[in-house]
Amino acid sequence: MTTAAVAAGERIPSGKLAVWWFLASEIMTFGGLLAAFVLCRFAGGGWEDQAAHVNAWIAAVNTLILLTSSLSMVEAHRAVEDGSRGRAATFLLITVLLGLTFLGVKGFEYSRELAHGFTPSTAPFWSFYYGLTGLHALHVLAGVVANAALWIAALRGRGWAQVAPRVEYAGLYWHFVDVVWIFLFPLVYLS
Amino acid sequence: MNDATRFPSYVAVWAWLVALLVVGLACAFLPFGKAMAIFLVFTVAAAKAFLVARHYMHLRSESLLIYAIAGLPVLLLVGLVIALVPDIVFRR
Repeated sequence: MTTAAVAAGERIPSGKLAVWWFLASEIMTFGGLLAAFVLCRFAGGGWEDQAAHVNAWIAAVNTLILLTSSLSMVEAHRAVEDGSRGRAATFLLITVLLGLTFLGVKGFEYSRELAHGFTPSTAPFWSFYYGLTGLHALHVLAGVVANAALWIAALRGRGWAQVAPRVEYAGLYWHFVDVVWIFLFPLVYLS
Repeated sequence: MNDATRFPSYVAVWAWLVALLVVGLACAFLPFGKAMAIFLVFTVAAAKAFLVARHYMHLRSESLLIYAIAGLPVLLLVGLVIALVPDIVFRR
């Protein structure tokens, strides 16, 4: 079903509804952790000294990567709506590769911080840092797996008509993961 | 609904997102006061989230039910934070 059809008052597909319910639970998960981070930071001192050790420029590059992956994901959705399986496969592959690049950069960042002795038990800031960014990275990994499965389905072509609507659902999830990072980035790296 | 309305220029939205990323970084590193910098950085983040939700997640053409599903946990979170602020921030 197209977005236009939804706007015209037709029924929302059950798959899409399920994804939104799932995202609602995810809002509570990430929102609760982000709120705990903010409140603990207000309540305790010394966080700024620890936060000064994270590299905002590496995180900015990762933000750019994730924003670009959202563009390729939504272009994959547009390709599905246009009935272009080949273009959908191309954009899904780009999204998968950008997701893997994000994880690679994140891994590099972790290794750099661990090499400097900043572990989750170093200070409360680092517990939150590894907890929040690690949980986010797991979500990126899950999105990469889902998008890779859709990419393979698009390449094969058999049964694509049944699978194609799932590109929109996977896209909703992927953009949500992007939105989470949009708030994580200033919270952890810029403030 | 024509195609241009259904699918806005996603590349233009992406360009805005990248521009806002640069603005956010500038706000963090330019010599504003700490409070002003944090306010600006999170205002920029909210603008980016709005663009992604409205255009990439197509919230601008979604039904009220979807808004309700997504909005309820946000309201609960705001309530949670408001309820905890006095206990955590002001109690020493």
